[in-house]
Amino acid sequence: MSGEAALPLLVLASSLLPGLVIFFLPEQRVALRTTLNLAGAVLKLALVGVMIWGVFHGVHYEARLPLLPGLDLVLRADPLAMLFVVLSSFLWLVTTVYAIGYLEGSPHRSRFFGFFSLCVTATVGVALAGNLITFLLFYELLTLATYPLIVHRGTDEARRAGRTYLIYTIAGGALLLIGTVWLYTLSGTLAFTSRGFLSGLDASLHGALAVIFVLLIAGLGVKAALIPLHGWLPQAMVAPAPVSALLHAVAVVKAGAFGIVRVLHDVYGIQFAAGLGLTLPLAMLAAATVVYGSLRALFQDDLKRRLAFSTVSQVAYIVLGIAIAGPLAVVGGLVHLVHQGLMKITLFFCAGNLAETLGIHKISEMDGVGRRMPWTMTAFSIGALGMIGVPPTVGFISKWYLGLGALETGQGWVIAVLAGSSLLNAAYFLPILYAAWFKAPAGDWPAERDFGRRETAWALLAPSLLTAFLTLAFGLLALAPFSPLQWASFIADLEYAR
Amino acid sequence: MNGVSTWLLILTPLLPLVLAVPALRARLPWPCHVALLPALALLAMPADAAVDLPWLLLGSGLALDAGLGRWPLAMAVLVWGAAASLLPAAGGRPVDARLASWFLLTLSGGLGAILATELVGFFSFSVLMGYGFYALLVSGGDVPARRAARVYLVLLIVADLALFEALLMAASTAGETAFEAVRPAMAASPSAALYVAMVLVGFAARAGLWPLHVWLVPLSRSVRPGVVLLLGAVPVATALLGLVRWLPLGDASLPGAGLVVQGMGVAAVLSALVAMARRRGCASWPAWGCVLATGLFAIALGAGLADAAVWGRFGGWAGLFIAAVGLAVALLVAACAWRRTGGVPVAGRADDAPAWFERWAAAAVRRAARLGMETLPRWRAAGLAGAACLWRVRAWRRALDGGERLLQRWACAVILVVLVGIVVALAGASFGGR
Repeated sequence: MSGEAALPLLVLASSLLPGLVIFFLPEQRVALRTTLNLAGAVLKLALVGVMIWGVFHGVHYEARLPLLPGLDLVLRADPLAMLFVVLSSFLWLVTTVYAIGYLEGSPHRSRFFGFFSLCVTATVGVALAGNLITFLLFYELLTLATYPLIVHRGTDEARRAGRTYLIYTIAGGALLLIGTVWLYTLSGTLAFTSRGFLSGLDASLHGALAVIFVLLIAGLGVKAALIPLHGWLPQAMVAPAPVSALLHAVAVVKAGAFGIVRVLHDVYGIQFAAGLGLTLPLAMLAAATVVYGSLRALFQDDLKRRLAFSTVSQVAYIVLGIAIAGPLAVVGGLVHLVHQGLMKITLFFCAGNLAETLGIHKISEMDGVGRRMPWTMTAFSIGALGMIGVPPTVGFISKWYLGLGALETGQGWVIAVLAGSSLLNAAYFLPILYAAWFKAPAGDWPAERDFGRRETAWALLAPSLLTAFLTLAFGLLALAPFSPLQWASFIADLEYAR
Repeated sequence: MNGVSTWLLILTPLLPLVLAVPALRARLPWPCHVALLPALALLAMPADAAVDLPWLLLGSGLALDAGLGRWPLAMAVLVWGAAASLLPAAGGRPVDARLASWFLLTLSGGLGAILATELVGFFSFSVLMGYGFYALLVSGGDVPARRAARVYLVLLIVADLALFEALLMAASTAGETAFEAVRPAMAASPSAALYVAMVLVGFAARAGLWPLHVWLVPLSRSVRPGVVLLLGAVPVATALLGLVRWLPLGDASLPGAGLVVQGMGVAAVLSALVAMARRRGCASWPAWGCVLATGLFAIALGAGLADAAVWGRFGGWAGLFIAAVGLAVALLVAACAWRRTGGVPVAGRADDAPAWFERWAAAAVRRAARLGMETLPRWRAAGLAGAACLWRVRAWRRALDGGERLLQRWACAVILVVLVGIVVALAGASFGGR
């Protein structure tokens, strides 16, 4: 096996093997488990670094394993895959550090970290999938790997949330399976191809292709939390903070959004899908999700629940950008895949810090918390301002390209959606910042833990600060080489052959 | 390009930004004054300076030009220096660390906006300045100050949205965001009127131009002198500069828009004169001074907007005028403060009550504020407390939650449909195969 074929497999193995070992480690082997976790994450990031350099210079990384007659399990590193692989690998490392600090002293850590690694393996598999059947396999593996993480606490509420999650995602997976099988019977191939592989099919099949598109988008829309398929996401908030971060920023919702990008780019092709009249309804569904998520977030007092509805809204930006079907909007949608991840993981880390350090779970308990935890709230403020789209954060860059893309394609109504969403984001984030920075604390904190002179544990604070820093840095240096924006532009150029 | 000028241009907004981090200024004496040194040195440089920063944001740049940049920068240095001296300080370091941070953030945004050479940079710096100034107003402020600051915040958000839309239109039309490229492109664009309207709404709200001046008066009455001093130099002067930078002045003649702006200017001047004449107390004079000055500026701006040739002849004075506005308001604040401390009786709050012609605007803003920033948190709080009077909101929440639960039940139905679908598909495939 050549190096080009081995590298995608090694990237998968770097999280899969440590994860399998960790499953069998006794609870008290803390040092070994931590070493395995961190070594796997660092190794994966190093391998991804090599791969991204190669992809940029035209190296073709592909591993092919026979799966079914005529269908191979294909792992391929193209620019779009690398955007998601880099995001998930980097955020996995950060989340691992955070989770080590967060779960210190809690039970079932081997089980937790085992599934955590498996979850990232599945996510990277989703990203590297070279055809729809490989994508489907890893997509379903992701469902199974995240379920134990959601029910990790073992409470009735957690089990209920897990059950809802399973019902939704298995239903979605089944729809995806039907769409995939139907597509295979029509086209005879499932290989992801730049600008799609369906445009050459007979015009009499266009009706069937439209139905298949609906099936695929419905299947993927469950994980991407498009309305009305988003119901599992706010419930899954009972999971520990690192899992919430993983669900919202790294793995699950991103896998759904990424799948929609793949279907539009590499199965249908954006131009062909637009020709079939499929992109406008998708854009309108995404726009409705953007507004609905923000409206629902406005009424939540539970911090993580507010963030969950915010995710419903923000992930729909990715779909909106792709469905607007113009080069600049595609850049906006793709770059938001990374940008939303950075901002949302920052917010969830901070929510976890508040819960772990002071026992704060509700927004109404956050009065004056900026004085008690200034660094955490600084990170939170950067993430929140980014979500609103305030410059120079990454949120501004995403909205800038989405807006320009909408004008480029003559879809001015998207600007109104962006403006309305920004207004709603401001309405549900700014009162939190006001309460934290300018109100006096109401009294004692609900459950304060002592960390000496520090505001909280370093393992909790450092990841929040790092991702907040990147939220600013990738906005300020948006045009720097290898920035998410440049990489997204590179992908859009390939798609539109510019 | 002079290397020293380049560094000074970069340091002018950067140093205050860096010093805003408490740990980085902990041992520095007079940090708020030190932050102004690069700007002061830049003013001392004889030649104009410019630096391109293609790696910053979406491709940015900073420059100090002779007319429009140099005068406002000189005014800013003077007024900010005076305001820094008025901050409660011990050994040159402000006692309230957070107040100093907000001060320095606002300063960075204000100076950066003056030096920005393109729309995105200007917008970014003015957003930093706007939110920083809000924090300055709220930090340690009394209840009226907080209420007035909330109105300012609402208008700031609306203004930023309007400017963002204008920014998108400009970038989409011109293909870039440099002021020199945007102005002629927008002048020739069919959407010039909409662009001008967006820019006017955005900067009128930020400058407190009539009828969007409603945040100015209560703020000037309630916040501390060091902050009131900045009213003219920070939001007002920067917004006036923004109007000059963003509008296609001298490139297009838009008589309709010009007339509207002049009308607003005349109304502003009249309302300010009447308000100042009927008050014995001077507490709100700085605010009305701002309204008067922005009104005069709007009259001139309207003339320039209506006729490109007029702006070509007189537009060069805009920088000096903006600087004069900032300085005049600062002097008014100082004079009022001197009058108070000099034993002259200060009129009571009743004397500062709004005039009849202001009341409708204040009522409208109060209503808007209630609808926006006040009602929603109250709904939330009341909903949590189970307040019966807000049953409609609870009904909404209940309806939405009920909808979600219904959707969760649908998920089971979807599974059933899917299972049936799979069976049918498999059966169909097997029959088709035969």
